Amino acid sequence: MKPPEPRTFGPVTQTDVVRFAGAGGDFNPLHHDPEHARAAGFDAPIAMGQLTAGLLAAWLTDWCGVERLRRFEVRFTAPLHLGDTVILSGSITSVEDGVAHLDLAATGFSSTLVTGTALVAVD
Amino acid sequence: MGTLVGTMVDRVAFTVEQGKVLELARATGATSADHTEGGLATATHVVVAGHHRDQQGFVAALGLDIRRIVVGSVSWEYARPLRVGDELVGTRTVVGDETREGRSGTNRLVTLETAWTDPDGAVLVRQREVLVERGAS
Repeated sequence: MKPPEPRTFGPVTQTDVVRFAGAGGDFNPLHHDPEHARAAGFDAPIAMGQLTAGLLAAWLTDWCGVERLRRFEVRFTAPLHLGDTVILSGSITSVEDGVAHLDLAATGFSSTLVTGTALVAVD
Repeated sequence: MGTLVGTMVDRVAFTVEQGKVLELARATGATSADHTEGGLATATHVVVAGHHRDQQGFVAALGLDIRRIVVGSVSWEYARPLRVGDELVGTRTVVGDETREGRSGTNRLVTLETAWTDPDGAVLVRQREVLVERGAS
């Protein structure tokens, strides 16, 4: 079984973040209000972790088909900053009883943003 | 500090809509025809609960300090993918509440589970979020 090819998304813009906010309903000002972001200790608004998780899930299910996805888990390790480019990648660690186990990652310029795992049904 | 395990956090209801499926597919870079033509939602569609929840209010209601809260991890388990027209009810409860030593003090880890059910009560998606309340410095 061939693992999915990596995908690149970005550079991430404020528009990307606002589009996800409108779709998903996360209106925490940390993600769109520069003044609020500075007060929280960031130079500019940061993307929501759920955007990074959504990018990773979309890349995965474009490969396997969402009907085959049995489990998806993400662990947030660093914030996604505007201007960063996200690389989505993963590998199949095992296939047992018709289920592929994958390790996943979303990485930015200088750090891993999200690590994850998935279980995907295979024929 | 009492445990929060067993506390019901909130309950929301919504119908999976085609327009919302397309919005989320575009926002997350999904290209599969499953979403544009097949009526299947993206894997993390239940994020739209954000439109219906009071995200700051629930943290305060649990007695947690929102300034020290970060989301550590999230998982989703699927009985099947969500489809346009699915009528969902999501009931979120606290299923874990523990402390763990971190680099900057004692962290509190609160695990929330949302059971997303159809009108027959079948769980279609089981979502877990681990909130980390970092130790006060």
